[in-house]
Amino acid sequence: MSQNLITEEKVYEELKKAIVETLRVDESSITPESSLINDLGAESLDFLDINYRLEQAFGMKMARHFVLEHIEDMFGEGAAIDEDGRLTEKAIELLKIRFGENVPDLKPGMDMDEVPALLTVKSMTQGVMDILQSLPEKCTKCGGPEWKTEDGVKIKCASCGENAAFTNGDDLIKAWLTRVQEEKKIF
Amino acid sequence: MMQIYQGVDIVDVVKFSKVFNAHRDFVSDIFSGKERAYCMSKRDPSIHFAGRFAAKEAGLKALGIGFSGRGIDHTLKEIEVIAGPSGRPELSFSGWAKKISRKKRIDRLTVSISHSGNYAVATVILTGDK
Ligand SMILES: [Zn+2]
Repeated sequence: MSQNLITEEKVYEELKKAIVETLRVDESSITPESSLINDLGAESLDFLDINYRLEQAFGMKMARHFVLEHIEDMFGEGAAIDEDGRLTEKAIELLKIRFGENVPDLKPGMDMDEVPALLTVKSMTQGVMDILQSLPEKCTKCGGPEWKTEDGVKIKCASCGENAAFTNGDDLIKAWLTRVQEEKKIF
Repeated sequence: MMQIYQGVDIVDVVKFSKVFNAHRDFVSDIFSGKERAYCMSKRDPSIHFAGRFAAKEAGLKALGIGFSGRGIDHTLKEIEVIAGPSGRPELSFSGWAKKISRKKRIDRLTVSISHSGNYAVATVILTGDK
């Protein structure tokens, strides 16, 4: 982010707030390493609820398609998932680059449906940070170069007050995959 | 050899309606135009939306994608429940859901939805030769 207005700690705090409101768990039971499914008991409706709360708080759009789908869209059918629904070695390689130590248990040959339980509070925080870091240089409405935030979560143009227009999560994943492929020639 | 894939899901209608009503984009992110039209034509749309949501989750499980625990999952919208000629629900896949079903050579899709009191439940059975 060109102007460091929202810190990772702030995103983590907001995510914890969304989790507490959605799952009715005690804030002290949430750690960065918590798996939302295994440790905090989240089900699918909770994921929708939490993600919509984050979108509203920060004024951005999360990805609607998981990285695995983007991999197959860009690099062809079978690139990420084999005929038995298992993750390919290349898919694991990419996920490891993307999530790093935030998701340590990725293994080639694992089933697709094992992935959601690996996602943690930390990996979700990272997902939000990636989007916030796409803050443009200038306001898309008036061209003003300064951003401000009053509540520490919503970034607005300092000149006209327009909400910052972040790149949406799916476009960021595509750009990231293009970059990684150029650098590492995985496919 | 014929393979059978099964998925089941149960939805708390009160909880579903709370999340559904709290977020403006929910209905268009998750339900197709046809699904929206069908549910809205019913006396109590929320129970029908909840039933279809259960069917979508059951579909994800049957496909082996696992329940949607990655965020706002577009695959839910790609698993569409349409009312067949007799009124019985039928399942249709597009996008990523279709891609996965093609990998597994799935050629028959069946879905059944039921509700009672505060709960909606759905099962999906997929079969294919592999
Ligand atoms: Zn401006």
